[in-house]
Amino acid sequence: MVIDSGTSATGTEFSSGIPTELLGEARERASGLGPYQLAWWRLRRNRAALAFGAVFLLVLVLCLLAPVYAHDIAHTGPNDNHITQTVKVGGKLEDVVNSIGLPIGPTWHSRFFLGADTNGRDVAVRLLYGGRNSLEVGIVATLITMVLATIVGVVAGYSGGLLDGLLTRALDVIWAYPVVILGVALGAILAVSGIDVGFVKLKGSSLMVPAVVIGIVYVPYVAKPVRGQVLGLREREFIEAARVQGQGTLRIMFSELLPNVGSTVIVFVPLMLANAVLLEAGLSYLGAGVQPPNPSWGTMIADGISSIPAAIHLVLVPGIMLVLAVLSINVFGDGVRDALDPRAKIRIGR
Amino acid sequence: MLVLALAMSACGKSTKAGGTATVLFGTAPDSLDPGMAYTTQALEPDQTAYIPMLTYAHVAGTAGGKLIPGLATALPTISADGKTYTMTMRHGLVFSNGRPVKASNFTYAVERALKIPWGGSSFITDNVVGSEAFASGSAKSISGITADDATGQITIKLKAPYGAFDNVLAFPSFAPVPKGTPFKNEPTNPPPGVGPYKITNIVPNVSYQVVRNPYWAKEAIPGIPSGSLNTINAKISSNTTANALAVLGNSADVFDFADTIPPSILAQVPSRASGRYEKVIKNSTYYFFMNTKTKPFSSELARRAVIVGLDRNAIARLGSGFFTPACHLLPPGIIGHPTGPCPYGDPTKPELAKAQALVKESGMAGTPVTVWGEMRSPRRQFVDYYTSFLNQIGFKATEKIIADATYFPTIGNLKLNPQTGFADWNEDFPNPIDFYGILIAGDAILPTNNQNFSQVNDPVINAKVNTLGSLYKVPTSSLSSVASQWQALDEYTSKKAYTAVFGYASFPKLASNRLDFSAAVLHTVFGWDWLTFKLK
Repeated sequence: MVIDSGTSATGTEFSSGIPTELLGEARERASGLGPYQLAWWRLRRNRAALAFGAVFLLVLVLCLLAPVYAHDIAHTGPNDNHITQTVKVGGKLEDVVNSIGLPIGPTWHSRFFLGADTNGRDVAVRLLYGGRNSLEVGIVATLITMVLATIVGVVAGYSGGLLDGLLTRALDVIWAYPVVILGVALGAILAVSGIDVGFVKLKGSSLMVPAVVIGIVYVPYVAKPVRGQVLGLREREFIEAARVQGQGTLRIMFSELLPNVGSTVIVFVPLMLANAVLLEAGLSYLGAGVQPPNPSWGTMIADGISSIPAAIHLVLVPGIMLVLAVLSINVFGDGVRDALDPRAKIRIGR
Repeated sequence: MLVLALAMSACGKSTKAGGTATVLFGTAPDSLDPGMAYTTQALEPDQTAYIPMLTYAHVAGTAGGKLIPGLATALPTISADGKTYTMTMRHGLVFSNGRPVKASNFTYAVERALKIPWGGSSFITDNVVGSEAFASGSAKSISGITADDATGQITIKLKAPYGAFDNVLAFPSFAPVPKGTPFKNEPTNPPPGVGPYKITNIVPNVSYQVVRNPYWAKEAIPGIPSGSLNTINAKISSNTTANALAVLGNSADVFDFADTIPPSILAQVPSRASGRYEKVIKNSTYYFFMNTKTKPFSSELARRAVIVGLDRNAIARLGSGFFTPACHLLPPGIIGHPTGPCPYGDPTKPELAKAQALVKESGMAGTPVTVWGEMRSPRRQFVDYYTSFLNQIGFKATEKIIADATYFPTIGNLKLNPQTGFADWNEDFPNPIDFYGILIAGDAILPTNNQNFSQVNDPVINAKVNTLGSLYKVPTSSLSSVASQWQALDEYTSKKAYTAVFGYASFPKLASNRLDFSAAVLHTVFGWDWLTFKLK
């Protein structure tokens, strides 16, 4: 990734030389807009990104309204079983789950709008609650990744020497394992034992367990580029100037370096969020993420697999929602990246 | 051969010797080492490779519960006081590694099972003189077992008469193994045994093969088939839908009876697998254990609340109709199964309001409860329902679902002290003591591999189990004389609400059209009897 501009503590704008093909960008800069205003201006011109951003926002709002839907429309909770109950469809009573264990499909009524699962739970309610859980895990995991990765990347890149070596090797160790395998291993262990490290105490069934696992396994994917950028920045004049002015290491890191890696970090946020939501679904599918009976899109797909093809809605509904959410985050994320740095090429995942 | 071929064709049916079959399991065996194996997934292959001193007739139905001599020349002779068992090892037997089998190899296998320790080791420590001292490390050998390698005679002295002891001798865990086999579980490198087959190429949790034992002396042991197939491939995949479809589509041959055919394809099974599918009843009980040693189920009222409110019809639907709602621990095929009504009302008519009132009355409302379960379907779904139900009646329940292969060893660790969760029991042998001696008797509480998950230690039950367990010498012939006493005991257990029994299972017998379905036995004790598998 190439990041070639920034603003120093003294307010000087840096540029490593704008190629002729980027003359348009130079003109944009000449308009007097700041880098983030400029990015916002570019993003507004990207209608596809905005449209998908709106889709993601819609998904998010729907999921946040899950308790309202459950309480006022479906009149059932996400984990309430209705196995032996009946529901009126087209004027006649039907079993929510029949005698051989097959659940009812979409009724298009307020109850069991998208059908029931094998435990007679309302799929629509679980879909929305599952979305809350998936997005909550994804967002917390992304926050953990971004905070840890930024700290590690800045500290390693600026300090150099032994500390850089140790941190980089630690990142390499995490990087060496495929994300899913590492996530499953950590998730499976922590789902039973929970987390009890100092002031961090989490039960195995807590949603925060998969969030921590996902947050940690993705740290190298952000920390390495941040470190690489800091390695370049620390040799620049504005850092030298800050040192000469007597600023301490911590102050240089937080006041000088951090603002300069900000755009990189922002570019990574939607990409990491999409990856975190996908990994959460994968881990939950494999039983190492969100713990049952709590729903997530991954656990819903896993639960529905055994009912294919007779009750295919159990897989289709959460699957479509997952695709929609991840696609919208990704397209919007691409837009953000293009807006912040039109020349950047970023790829996450292995 | 020609005569045989003509005879077979005259019958309109032909089978061929040799060939390979594939068995699909939804769950991995706990261990293929006979010293550790205790689940049906492990005992099925072990029965082909580790013939014990006594074994069961290789026939279907209740006749399969009849004991026959295995490596012993005859059934044991029992002294007049019922405390000394004497039997003789057959001459000329060799292990699958070619080494000769001696009578002392039996003693070694028993010692090894106690040291590992095997989940049913209390069958020995409770009964055999000197076995407790050996298990605890205070003795170097089991003083109650003597073996004469020269004559092959084995003598076992019991502390007190125990009628089902000859059933104990039929566990593959006590099948002879070579001396020097480590006193530890060897799941990927099980020891040599005596049997028509040996187990090889083990990839844990993925696959293994059962291949012919080159040292198996054909027809050496009457009543034990030598097996028709050359190789049996066992494959483990938790996707039971795919497993069932593979057998339906004839790309695999046997569906594990302990797995449930998913409801999504169950409707098509009778038509697609006509002549190679049936429901078979085996003696098994499915229940939720409730730890009597810890809150909230240390309260009898709290336990009763579960039993009163549990919707067994709902569970039967989750089990695709393979469950009969029930309340008693002993299933109908076992002598002692109560014929009277359930003590807390019709098990098909749950009383939710009454259950909620009982929880309030117990003072346990709001108590956090961790519900343990395993991943495979429908057991996960049972636990999902049960957790939701516990929350409905006033507890604060959360789930802990763990991998199938580690589930029972995990909840069997006494240090974990699990509050409640899923459990089931398939008979080891057709005798009520097999249920009570392991699941309910106080002596059965073990630090590891515990099966008395409710940690029941009731003096009334303990005394009765000891009395009934020693009342008879030949279980099958004498059990009926004490049936009423077993019934009374089972009714007492139900009344004390120690376990929330929810049903008795029937099992799917499903095979490919390559396999001779009528010859293949779904055995009352073994599960699928692999020695009866033949290709058409």
